[in-house]
Amino acid sequence: MELEKTIRLLKEGKHLSEERVYDICLKSQELLITEGNVTHVDTPVTICGDIHGQLHDLLTLFEKSGGVEKTRYVFLGDFVDRGFYSLESFLLLLCYKIRYPDRITLIRGNHETRQITKVYGFYDEVMRKYGNSNVWRYCCEVFDYLSLGAIINNRIFCVHGGLSPDVSTINEIKAIDRKQEVPHEGAMCDLLWSDPDDVDKWSLSPRGAGFLFGSNEVEEFLHTNGFELIARAHQLVMEGYKEMFDGGLVTVWSAPNYCYRCGNVAAVLKIDDQLERNYTIFDAVQPQDGVGNAIIPTKQPQMDYFL
Amino acid sequence: MTSTNTNNQNNVDESFSNTEPKRVKVYVLENNEWKDNGTGFCTGEIRDVEEGDEITKSAYLVVSSEDDQKETLLRSKVEGNIEYQRQEETLIVWKDLNGNDIALSFEESIGCDTLCEFIIQVQRHIENSISLISVKSSDNGIGSVHEIVAGPVILPSTDKDQNTDTLYDALKIVNENSIYDYMKNETIEFILQSSYINLLIDHFHRAEKGKMIKDLFLLSTIIKTLILYNQRDIIELMVDDEHIMGIIGILEYDTEFPNLKANHREYLKLNGPCFKEVIPLENKDLELVVKKYFRLKFLKDVVLVRFLDDNNLNSFMDIILDLKTCIIDWLQTDPFLDKIMNIFSTDDDSSKKRDAIRLLHQYVGMSKDLDPIDKTKFYRTLVRKGLFNVLSYAFSQEKDSNLRILATDLIITIIEHDILLIHNIQNEKTKDTAIDDNFPPASDAITDDMKLLSILSTILLSDKSPGLMEQVVQALSTLLHPDGCLAGTDGEFSNFSSISSINGFDVNDSDNSYGMDGIFNSIDRDNNETEANKQLKIYFNKFYSQIAPFLFKPLMPKANIDCSELDDFLLIHLLKLISFIATEHTRLISRKFILENGILKTLSQLIGPTHILQLRLTAVRCFKNILNLNDKYYHRYIISNNLVDPIFELLKDNLFEDNLATSCILDLLNIVSLNCTLDSGKENDQNAKHNLTEKSKSLNKAKNNFTILNKHIIGKYGSIIKELSSFPFIREMFEFDRITNEIEKELDIETDIDRISPNDTDTNKSDATTENCKRSYSELETSENSNSNEDVSKFELDQHVVTS
Repeated sequence: MELEKTIRLLKEGKHLSEERVYDICLKSQELLITEGNVTHVDTPVTICGDIHGQLHDLLTLFEKSGGVEKTRYVFLGDFVDRGFYSLESFLLLLCYKIRYPDRITLIRGNHETRQITKVYGFYDEVMRKYGNSNVWRYCCEVFDYLSLGAIINNRIFCVHGGLSPDVSTINEIKAIDRKQEVPHEGAMCDLLWSDPDDVDKWSLSPRGAGFLFGSNEVEEFLHTNGFELIARAHQLVMEGYKEMFDGGLVTVWSAPNYCYRCGNVAAVLKIDDQLERNYTIFDAVQPQDGVGNAIIPTKQPQMDYFL
Repeated sequence: MTSTNTNNQNNVDESFSNTEPKRVKVYVLENNEWKDNGTGFCTGEIRDVEEGDEITKSAYLVVSSEDDQKETLLRSKVEGNIEYQRQEETLIVWKDLNGNDIALSFEESIGCDTLCEFIIQVQRHIENSISLISVKSSDNGIGSVHEIVAGPVILPSTDKDQNTDTLYDALKIVNENSIYDYMKNETIEFILQSSYINLLIDHFHRAEKGKMIKDLFLLSTIIKTLILYNQRDIIELMVDDEHIMGIIGILEYDTEFPNLKANHREYLKLNGPCFKEVIPLENKDLELVVKKYFRLKFLKDVVLVRFLDDNNLNSFMDIILDLKTCIIDWLQTDPFLDKIMNIFSTDDDSSKKRDAIRLLHQYVGMSKDLDPIDKTKFYRTLVRKGLFNVLSYAFSQEKDSNLRILATDLIITIIEHDILLIHNIQNEKTKDTAIDDNFPPASDAITDDMKLLSILSTILLSDKSPGLMEQVVQALSTLLHPDGCLAGTDGEFSNFSSISSINGFDVNDSDNSYGMDGIFNSIDRDNNETEANKQLKIYFNKFYSQIAPFLFKPLMPKANIDCSELDDFLLIHLLKLISFIATEHTRLISRKFILENGILKTLSQLIGPTHILQLRLTAVRCFKNILNLNDKYYHRYIISNNLVDPIFELLKDNLFEDNLATSCILDLLNIVSLNCTLDSGKENDQNAKHNLTEKSKSLNKAKNNFTILNKHIIGKYGSIIKELSSFPFIREMFEFDRITNEIEKELDIETDIDRISPNDTDTNKSDATTENCKRSYSELETSENSNSNEDVSKFELDQHVVTS
């Protein structure tokens, strides 16, 4: 089948035609448009943090956590930028989504925007791989359709960044028209940009977008909505994950040896039917090409050159 | 064996001689106490010493007493491996070869400078093993900072027979030398002056042949360490023709991947030197520049991508930018560009033309991060030399969407820099030459400055490539963005303070409850418009008369185009453009166009279920943006024509779903609710109800665009919306509706709306609303028609629209 073939090509980091990418993006739009801003997911489910274009580590992630055939996944965003295989990583997730719609939930991260990807690598990657920006445009259009959060068994709230002073109940997120470039302020921006910190009230974020929030805000949010945990990503954790505020919040990071040089391990968080948390830690591996030969991850050189 | 920075002793500079005397106090350490040996004048002396046949030079620090010039207080030979320390500004301290600790305390720091310079020269030319160290207390006051100023620097061995040991030593040396600037600079000098890199490359070939793995990794680490020196000359040396392949070969080995070898050389051999020449490049210097540019990018993006830190990366970018500037400069002076442009006016085969487009695209892409002035210069040259012929070819003869995409991308780069550049030069050109008229549509009616817009519109409506469509929309939005016009026409950013007046699109300014105020303001401001403003006005007027009717034809009911036949994705793009012109352009012009052509009626139909959801929601958003303008005319028009009906049909179908359709419509309702609160201010205030004047004020405010819309929505679709009462802003909508009704009743103000109970049929209701609208127009007209002619004609238009 065509989709299986595409998945195989993507896993090997091979080139897809522009038309094929367009089809994938269109199909994804159709699926995502039926999802709410906050989607509901059942246990058991595995929560994954930032991927950042590290295709080979994403493949390891699937390998270590059961694989999409058997496991349900929530990805907390930041699929692209930094790594050298943003396109393949994002498209692979979309293909899985098309292939197994109820097994994959994709949440938008702060890197899934036109503005950020122009600076942090995804745009350049597409320009190098295709010589024009079409494929980048198709993907950016899909970014606009991605959900802003997910709720597991009505008890765990998943989001890329964190909380927003403009959001006290989930209902308030539902009334956002998410199909837009991430704004520079407001609820949608905060959900994708905020960070937990040791602060006693909403504070300015050094990132210049979103807020810092502390245990008070987390407690209140959990209480108001009847949740027990906020699962988010967005910040590098050397140990792969980090629980804060008496276990009321966890940061999950799924890009090992981030940027191919940080030396960190990665983690995914499995939530079982009793809502028990099980972390799986994994390390960066030597990437391989399709036939098992080791490769050195690098950017693809520019194609033609004219004098 | 390692070499040091020993220079030929005989090579002493002629000017290197005795120094001027400087006032100084001499101290000698005796029994752990510094003893004052008197005050005098210190000179650095050079003496020729005869040893057999040879004359050698020796250096001394001499202090003669200030009381008696003949009395010598100190005579110390500068020799051996003496380490001189300059402590702070005025002190030089050392231990001579006899073990005496001596200190010179200078009266002025300038005196200390002179003698330190002397010591440096002596180190360079006579006594290489001495050294001078500067010692300063650190910024935090704790401890001190030592910095080598002069001294022997150990350098890597230049022995022809390199081996693991020499390489290991070399690595250690280049690492250690990178700590102090002095040693680093000496090492850089050494690398540039000696042929050390060649030596390493020679050994690399032997090591690779002999599979000397250790040596290969050492070589790679040495080269990387030298790259970390972050020195432009070294980096440029590495990428020149002589060294590039060797360097890249060495870098194929990486201790991070001990079992792997990259294949950079193979790539460069297969693809790198295969620079495509569209026409032969005669300038060989430039060829090298282009190659260096390519190689540096290759190093930065591929070979060293995981290795470079931000500092290195910036150095690479700086060099690359310099090379780019050089290339772009050259293009404009050499006839090369003329030859490229000529390809398009000849019958050359199309593959050559295609390559020429690719080439131009590459160079325009290269220009993106140049200095704005350089960019303007380059783009003007391009346009003058005939860029339009290139575009004309790409858009009319070339059928390959990929090339059209490149051409569009090229235009976008230019117009994002300065949207008026192309059409200004085009105007100036048309004065002397006629341009060939290949462009559809009906080019007779299209003036030259509209040609680009016309071409882009034609492509959008005819080309099916989704990528190209998106690009064209981006180009159109850029060309039609009033802000873009802020960029001056001479490549400098002129600041037209009154420029926003021509656009009049400032929503906040023009739309506090009475939508017209702002517009009149902006018209007032228009009276003192500048020449540039006038040109812009003409430009936008031409767009609405020549381009818009063609571009938006599919959205005009008059055109009798069956929308179901059209590509939904094309319609999405057109709707986004409508949203754009409605919110960003001068309200008077864009609204006139949108309402006169019945475009909102088509929009309303597009929300219907025969279209893909993406399009339906885009249409909803378009309404949302237009309603958000808080413009009386739009609001009345939309209400009286029942244009929001399909939105609530769509809502009804998705009422119990949680999806993007409900979110999108909820957002719209939230905007309505929010604007009711904002505009009606104290309506919720209980006190206000007890005071009649306050109440009538509230009502006045209550009769704003959004409370009327709220009434319309609640009256007609209240039963649907009730299902969403879990959202506080929905409950507020009902509350507003109730309060408005209450106040109106209490004050016994008879309005058409009031007479209609919610149970009345839709038709009655809308008639009543229309009636109401008409009245509000005539009010406006009598009170405000003393304004300019333009405005009167606009009111006529609006009346026409509403009553028709």
